[in-house]
Amino acid sequence: MNLDAAMLARVQFAFTVSFHIIFPTTSIGLAMFLTVVEGLWLKTRNPVYLQIYRFWLGIFAMAFGVGVVTGIVLSFEFGLGFAHFAQIAGPVIGPMIALEVLTSFFLEAGFLGIMLYGLRRVGPKLHFFATCMVALGTLLSASWILSANSWMQTPDGVAMQNGRLVVTDWLKVIVNPSWLYRLPHMLTAAYLTASFLVAGVGAFYLLRRKHTLFARKSVSIGMACAAILIAGQVFIGDILYSTMLKHQPSKMQAAEGFWERQSQSPAPYYWVIIPDQAHQRNRVALGIPYLGSIWLTHSLHGRVEGLKSTPHDRQPAMGMVFYGFRIMYGIAILMFAVAVASLWLRWHGGLFTTRWFLRSLVIMAPSGIVATLGGWYLAETGRQPWVIFGLLRTVDAVSPVPAGTLLSTLIAFIFVYAFFMTAFLIFVFRMIRRGPEAAPDHAEASASLKNALRLLESPTANVALGR
Amino acid sequence: MDLPLLSAVFAAFSITMYVLLDGFDLGVGALLLLQPHEAARNHMVDSIAPTWDGNETWLIMTGVTLLAGFPLAYSILMPAFYVPLIVMLLALGLRGASFEFRPQGQRNRPSWDAVFSIGSIVAACMQGLILGGVIQGVTIRGDAFGGSVFDCLRPFPILCAGSVLFGYIVLGGCWLYLKTTEESRHFAERTLWFALPAFLMLFVSACLTAAFTQPEVRAAWKTHTVSLATIVGMMALAAIVLFASIGKRSELRPLVAAVSMVGLGIAGLAVLIFPDIIPFRLSLWKASASRLSHVFLLSGAVFVTPLVLAYSAFAYWVFRGKTPVKGWEA
Repeated sequence: MNLDAAMLARVQFAFTVSFHIIFPTTSIGLAMFLTVVEGLWLKTRNPVYLQIYRFWLGIFAMAFGVGVVTGIVLSFEFGLGFAHFAQIAGPVIGPMIALEVLTSFFLEAGFLGIMLYGLRRVGPKLHFFATCMVALGTLLSASWILSANSWMQTPDGVAMQNGRLVVTDWLKVIVNPSWLYRLPHMLTAAYLTASFLVAGVGAFYLLRRKHTLFARKSVSIGMACAAILIAGQVFIGDILYSTMLKHQPSKMQAAEGFWERQSQSPAPYYWVIIPDQAHQRNRVALGIPYLGSIWLTHSLHGRVEGLKSTPHDRQPAMGMVFYGFRIMYGIAILMFAVAVASLWLRWHGGLFTTRWFLRSLVIMAPSGIVATLGGWYLAETGRQPWVIFGLLRTVDAVSPVPAGTLLSTLIAFIFVYAFFMTAFLIFVFRMIRRGPEAAPDHAEASASLKNALRLLESPTANVALGR
Repeated sequence: MDLPLLSAVFAAFSITMYVLLDGFDLGVGALLLLQPHEAARNHMVDSIAPTWDGNETWLIMTGVTLLAGFPLAYSILMPAFYVPLIVMLLALGLRGASFEFRPQGQRNRPSWDAVFSIGSIVAACMQGLILGGVIQGVTIRGDAFGGSVFDCLRPFPILCAGSVLFGYIVLGGCWLYLKTTEESRHFAERTLWFALPAFLMLFVSACLTAAFTQPEVRAAWKTHTVSLATIVGMMALAAIVLFASIGKRSELRPLVAAVSMVGLGIAGLAVLIFPDIIPFRLSLWKASASRLSHVFLLSGAVFVTPLVLAYSAFAYWVFRGKTPVKGWEA
């Protein structure tokens, strides 16, 4: 791998976008969770829901903040690193992202201030409306950006005129062949991420026998959502798999780790491979016999298509695609197992007391984020060598920026983002350690979210809000 | 209908919104460095906390409008200003992160405030460098940027960086004058006394230097003498009104005057460069995307923008009046 400008531009984009996606995944999920919890609180007036809301709002605000500032970078990086892509595809993805900004970024930003600071000023009902609008904003944002990205995976509704793409049918561009499956897949991933985060924190408290009421509700809500969502996700994932097999066979060939046009029969299901792209073979390949045939061809002896079916110069690098897929899929299996265990334990009344289960929930807390990253690596590295599948190669898309400049800004990004991540994790862990009943340690902390919501429980605030 | 022209008007509208709204946010941020008292700094940050995110969104709107409507211009400008843009994005990132992280603990707050302030100053300066670099002229070869990424590190863009920074500080001072009380209001007053003259000096020298750096600027003055002179005259009038209202009873007047002054500056710039999307190099029609792209972009702009303006105004209205000294929750 030589560090030319094209490679550096890709590494920089990959790094900034991978870092970014962690935060929207979390905040899309948490926004919906907060809406549900605030709704439950308004309906039942049970203070534990308000406690849960207040606790997760703090973490949501930080995740949202980092998501916003790392997202702004991306809207410029289309041109910073990939000017030629912007020139050719700008007329197609530009208007979609413009609509994303108009319908979702402004909506989120407009109501976020009220959500964070405005409870005393607008009262609980309007505040709930603000929470709903923020959650709606995250949903719309995901819809537009998934539409734009899906168009890059399965382009439709455009024609090439004088080397530029011209839109012929907006409906076909937006509702391109993979969007309808990739959007619910990503949304479910985000909601699963939030479910496991919430359940994991609850389990952590249950193991330490602290904040029991809060913790039981968290585990209960988190695992109920997770059980429903993972069942749906398996179903959506299966449809998406066959859609991508039809539209991007090269990606799915790389994802399964076979090289020969037709694999051996019966085909194993590989979990570890060391691919050798130059010689078009695996140096090491370990898997479970028969399982590949059973899962992928739904028969005992079926053969799986390998990457040699795609011409060498149109192949993605197998390693990244394969492991991105295995990480996502492996975690999905674990999630499914945990969800089944949770249903069984709930049935037998041991959901809050079974220690091995609670420990596994703590370990699984960040699993949604890791699985989402794996999925995006499958999607993006599997699309290579194309930036717009079948239309524009990544190497032809880059900007006329010298490699040295790209390298120095890449290093700057790594330092600044590492700083963001460190601060974010320190504050999240501190919030978890302090717990939902944390005393006001920063009363004058102006932008403190906790104060806003704590006040709601104090008698003066109840008077102020007319309750 | 001339769709590219309408898209360009929308781009101009969003960048104006950005400069006026995030201008005072960045100005307030820059001023944190001059305020030694932590309680006063909290008050300053509180005054912009509920609405800063929406203000910054206009920057994305501008960038994306350019990408959607004028992909050729976008693909030339981004690499041309690669260095100041990346530095600006990192600075805005650090500033935005400080917003969320500074309430998390008392102990490190002075450091977060320093990051906040330096981030704001650097972001403002980078925007000035880009403005200067654009007026100075971008080197284009064929359909791509053909110069060096360091072209904008010359005296004229640096002068522009100073003007933008002080312009933002003036806006920020006026915002604090409107939203804060007691100590912070006096601080805003003192700020305006030095920031306004500094801005005017930098702005006038930048204008004069522009005429020597870029011959097209002189040509534009010859063709649009009357309109440009009118705009400059009105800017001077706004500056005088601003001067006269510092320390007086009306708390809104300085902000109105400052917004008019900066808004007129942007209008002057528009007259100077119209109808180019990259000044003196590429006209907006030549850089334009095809018709359906404009149709889609503009239908969003026409139908959604009023809604955006309405609820943004509502957010400002919810947090109207003086910012409470002890925070929004007290």
